[in-house]
Amino acid sequence: MPLTLEIVTPEARVYSQTVDSVVIPTVEGEVGILPGHVPLMTQVGAGELRATKGNVTELLIVGGGFAQVTAEKVSILADSAIEAQRIDVNVVEDAMKRAEDALKGMAHLSQAEVERLEAVVRFSVAQLTVKKKR
Amino acid sequence: MPSTRDIRRRIKSVKNTRQITKAMELVAASKMKKAQQTAINGLPYANLLADVLASLASRIEETSHPFLVQRPVRTRGILLITTDKGLCGPLNANLFKLVSEIHTPVKYYSIGRKGTQFLARTKRAMVAEFQVHDRVPFAEVKVASEFMIKQYLEGEIDTIEVIYPRFKNTLVQVPTVRPVLPLESLKDFLDQLGKDTGTVRVPHADDREFLFEPGITEVLNALLPFYVDHQIHQIALSAKASEHSARMVAMKTAKDNATELLDDLTLEYNKARQAAITQEILEIAAAQYSAA
Repeated sequence: MPLTLEIVTPEARVYSQTVDSVVIPTVEGEVGILPGHVPLMTQVGAGELRATKGNVTELLIVGGGFAQVTAEKVSILADSAIEAQRIDVNVVEDAMKRAEDALKGMAHLSQAEVERLEAVVRFSVAQLTVKKKR
Repeated sequence: MPSTRDIRRRIKSVKNTRQITKAMELVAASKMKKAQQTAINGLPYANLLADVLASLASRIEETSHPFLVQRPVRTRGILLITTDKGLCGPLNANLFKLVSEIHTPVKYYSIGRKGTQFLARTKRAMVAEFQVHDRVPFAEVKVASEFMIKQYLEGEIDTIEVIYPRFKNTLVQVPTVRPVLPLESLKDFLDQLGKDTGTVRVPHADDREFLFEPGITEVLNALLPFYVDHQIHQIALSAKASEHSARMVAMKTAKDNATELLDDLTLEYNKARQAAITQEILEIAAAQYSAA
């Protein structure tokens, strides 16, 4: 029984393929999903997501969101997501620096803005960690 | 027969109109492209989110969360999304027609100046109006949706619905009433929408009950308000794409009409000019004939 993995962000559909298994970084730690998994609804944290097909493992970075798991399908609604080989360290560091600078002048920022910037930082950190590991 | 000078004056003014409408068409076209792209890119996310929610709503046993409870509807809460400016064809008028078909008690919330004016003119109960910038930033739409959620939780309104021009393609915008809360009504609407667009939603084969991590309340508390905010934002994006599309089409029609009018006027002008010359020659000939 195949497992369909679908990752979408507000900007685009990042990933949509059938895989053998997938490891999701939830807020409570990593969860491995195989076909036929019991229906599960969970919050996704910023971190690395591994999708395995045959003996190839694809690495993606997600930046928080929700995941819905049913027996045949894993749907991930992420704030942001990127495939590991597409990460550009310079771009990430830039984005992180800008977000951090903006956060330093936090006093005049609205609650929503702060949350958004913190999400950018978390996503950036997750991308850099993966990049350094490889 | 109008004099050549009168016709010339009219030609000039029609030419000016054509120039303006042409410029506005180009502006609308470039804005349209951007707005359509944003609306279309966000669609998979919004659809998946709605899908997740709909299947969730039907499978949760304890419907303790206020967003999931179907209350007896006393007052509907409707967010009317219109444009700030006119010159966009029948876009707003179509929405107003939908509004005037509603006879149950409703409280209105408005995004867009045209809608606000309409609600005020027809003396409907309007609770609040919100300003949303042309780029439709999430934060600005969120203000409106958060306010409506607050009113919903306080029991001021028993539903949250949105009336907006749903973007189908550049030529077609469908005035739509879209239910957002409670989620029970969402499923019917999704089925309907699926029929309209020709995509049949396959019900999940797996009908076991959901596990929630970290816990059902945590997940629902995070997911549901986020869903409403995001959904309304997506709707506003679609409305914006519709606005620019409708405006471009309206301006294109205006430009075409001006061109046609210009052709007619030019023809008339040439006829009048020719008639005047003929007349003059006739007069000269007659004068010479009588002098001889």
